[in-house]
Amino acid sequence: MQYNVIVIGSGPGGYVAAIRCAQLGFKTAIVEKYNTLGGTCLNVGCIPSKALLDSSEHFINAKEHFKGHGIDIPEPKLNLGQMIKRKGEVVKANVDGIAFLMKKNKIDVHTGVGSFVDKNTIKVTAADGKETTITTEKVIIATGSKPTPLPFAPFDKKRIISSTEALELKELPKHLIVIGGGVIGMELGSVFARIGSKVTVVEFLDSLIPTMDGTMGKELLKVAKKLGIESHLGHKVTSVENKGEEVIVKAEGKDGKTIELKGDYCLVAIGRRPYTDGLGLDKIGIETVKGQVPVDDHLKTKVDNVYAIGDVVRGAMLAHKAEEEGVYVAETMAGQKPHVHYLLIPGVVYTWPEVASVGYTEEQLKSQGKAYKVGNFPYKALGRARASGDTDGLVKILADKATDEILGVHIIGARAADMIAAGVTAMEFLHRPKMYRECRMRIRRTWKR
Amino acid sequence: MAVQIKVPAVGESITEVTIANWLKKDGDVVKMDEVIAELESDKATFELTASSAGVLKIVKPQGTTVPIGEVLCEIDPNGAAAPGATAPAPEAKAAAAAPAAKPVAPAAPKSTGAVKEMKVPTVGESITEVTISTWLKKDGDSVKLDEIIAEVESDKATFELPAEANGILRIVAKEKETLPIGGLICRIEVTDGAAPAAQAPTEAPAAATGDKSYAAGHPSPAAAKILDEKGIPANQVAGSGVGGRITRDDAQNAQAQSKPQAPAKAADTKAQAPSGPPVITSGGGRNKRSEKMSSLRKTIAKRLVAVKNETAMLTTFNEVDMKPVMDMRSKYKDQFKEKYGVGLGFMSFFTKAVCQALKDFPAVNAALNGDEIIYHDYCDISIAVSTPRGLVVPVIRNAESLSFNQIEAEVVRLATRGRDGKLSIEEMTGGTFSITNGGVFGSMLSTPIINPPQSAILGMHNIVERAVVKNGEVVVRPIMYVALSYDHRVIDGRESVSFLVRVKELLEDPGRLILGV
Repeated sequence: MQYNVIVIGSGPGGYVAAIRCAQLGFKTAIVEKYNTLGGTCLNVGCIPSKALLDSSEHFINAKEHFKGHGIDIPEPKLNLGQMIKRKGEVVKANVDGIAFLMKKNKIDVHTGVGSFVDKNTIKVTAADGKETTITTEKVIIATGSKPTPLPFAPFDKKRIISSTEALELKELPKHLIVIGGGVIGMELGSVFARIGSKVTVVEFLDSLIPTMDGTMGKELLKVAKKLGIESHLGHKVTSVENKGEEVIVKAEGKDGKTIELKGDYCLVAIGRRPYTDGLGLDKIGIETVKGQVPVDDHLKTKVDNVYAIGDVVRGAMLAHKAEEEGVYVAETMAGQKPHVHYLLIPGVVYTWPEVASVGYTEEQLKSQGKAYKVGNFPYKALGRARASGDTDGLVKILADKATDEILGVHIIGARAADMIAAGVTAMEFLHRPKMYRECRMRIRRTWKR
Repeated sequence: MAVQIKVPAVGESITEVTIANWLKKDGDVVKMDEVIAELESDKATFELTASSAGVLKIVKPQGTTVPIGEVLCEIDPNGAAAPGATAPAPEAKAAAAAPAAKPVAPAAPKSTGAVKEMKVPTVGESITEVTISTWLKKDGDSVKLDEIIAEVESDKATFELPAEANGILRIVAKEKETLPIGGLICRIEVTDGAAPAAQAPTEAPAAATGDKSYAAGHPSPAAAKILDEKGIPANQVAGSGVGGRITRDDAQNAQAQSKPQAPAKAADTKAQAPSGPPVITSGGGRNKRSEKMSSLRKTIAKRLVAVKNETAMLTTFNEVDMKPVMDMRSKYKDQFKEKYGVGLGFMSFFTKAVCQALKDFPAVNAALNGDEIIYHDYCDISIAVSTPRGLVVPVIRNAESLSFNQIEAEVVRLATRGRDGKLSIEEMTGGTFSITNGGVFGSMLSTPIINPPQSAILGMHNIVERAVVKNGEVVVRPIMYVALSYDHRVIDGRESVSFLVRVKELLEDPGRLILGV
């Protein structure tokens, strides 16, 4: 065998798994279809989104908020080209960093589509059609996910676009119609709303970010409204038509009434699907279930030496979840007994204000019939928040009624993403809210209420 | 109404006592004047009697140190009729105590029976202990959840301690007491309206067990990984972290309990045993144990160090030919015993000799008090007696006026009382000079430590036959080395040395004792 471990896919799950394998002494190779490492997260996902989110936040601050702070500047003008260019530089710096990490950890990088020949042999087909075959004792599938298209309106990548294209737009949309009020839709929707597009969100369910705690969705709806985002909840999109310069979206409300929206771009952000195309899973007898690669509790597939991690398996499609699983599998292969505590993987929506949560939502606790209590504290009532002008949002803590054990922390508000770490630690160590002398002020105040 | 029994004022300088032993259990029926506990101060041991008949409710557990005037226990006279009805309250688990709460109604009408134990929280990384600086609430006060009940200080900062439940405060750690992290600060007898504990019986049973938190046995992520790799279930590990959480160290130190584990494993090890390298499992245990210092021990420690630090102490030596005393003793001891009923020992000779010498060198019998030197015209001789509880020093009063037989009788009386732990504080205070006899344990030579505020102490040692030169001839004589430790601030070298020489002369020629020369 040439390798102890081959990792297919170089996203956050794959590259972290490869590094951990190398650290643990395995001779490791990584196979990546694209020319740059880092997968969705670094190339067309979290990192470029965050780059644009930050840029657009600066823009709206300069445009609307500086004046109130006593900073007078001429009306700022948007330079979308520069914004996209900067985003490109951020991405490049990150993916180059991954390439360096591979070199540093002596991990061989094979560029091309990886597919199984048998359970120990991987064929790598490069873009120019050149094939190489490499052998290994163990394989980690980390092929990630792709945006899901609407069945009746596939991505044409011109007017009907996915998040990938939205990050590369050459012009500012006049009216962006976002289908799907989840994390991706709300993040990108708010980017364009800030820099001057009219944004309309159409969501099938009755709440924005519907997988998170209901209170967060409600608050985000208010915040989105302030930003000028129009939301149509409980609407099922029935058709999307590209009319050349215009897109027409039709959606049916619960009351049976149909609305018609006309915009110049339509961002379809209804979710992502596990990506196993061309992987040749059939060669080793693995069948996907709802697109996912089935794994046991140790992330092992039914083939003894093949593991799978990240978006391609069950669970939340989050970069840091994939990273945890990557480390988990590497250590498991080395005979260690690592842990992944799925409940404590936090989720963040990088709108502004941010939404962050960890643990159970109130809806989950209700359906479990658990006795819980709720503490809420609005940012508005906090001096620090007033000082910075970030008065939107609230902190919500759910705790066990009998023991005070924290069951969930949900924050919408400025720097929620930073503060959620305190919630994760508290839950990991079963802290009571009031044991938190050192905790972030807002969390503690929430409890005191 | 229950009668409260408080710590009696036992002596002028005594501010606190330690509960050495509860002779009665919580919930026991006690009679009036019955001895219910043994208390220990830094000077003596006392018995605590019941001031009324009834059912005993212990407030302060064994081993706690309690200031004078604090409530030690309560006796409920009403309970006497139906003793079985009273549940052992402090240890009661919520579920057990709840039904029993009604019969004890007069004492705690709204009590839920649950007791919340409050322990010292982890306040910072490097902080291992805290001191209770102020109790803002008194013992027995009712407190509300989150109400600040005490101020606690560490070596870095002062912080406030909020009550962890609604209820009646029972203070365990008194003010100025230093507790380690996790140490018990107080108990709160939970009363109605206290959210967490009140629901305990119906909710998770973990919450009801008083001394451990709901998080007990919860491993940290690192600990969980280590335990899994060792194959030890978390419930077999005692957590030393906050609230009983299992820390990484706990996990690293955890040993698999092989016996209750799968029998297959046991068979494995058996099979390997003969072939593998010999693993030494039996033999020398390496247990450590720590015991709380008794008040007596603490006082001894404190005072001895103080003497070393605060006096200019040094020791002078001499040797005594014991032949004359021994001769006299063997000659008259039977007669002496017959006449006085006590044996004739060396103590009487030494005491008499010392009293004589003290008269000649009053500085040795003096005490320093601030800027003044207090000279005593009497000799109260403290005699060190070793007891199971530690060293005690009862006093022979006006030893200079006592006869040999009176001294011997007093020595026997004091030693007996000391061994029985019956010495009163009066019997142990006010000596002007001390004698200690390390010789009974075989000591050849030692440097005793002054018993403050005295200025000197004589150390007696064993009597050994040694070759000595008398009148140009080597003869065998029973010799005792004697040592005098003294405070050079009060006593000059000339006086101390002369004093010891005087004692030597008196013992080597006992006739001088009669004549006073």
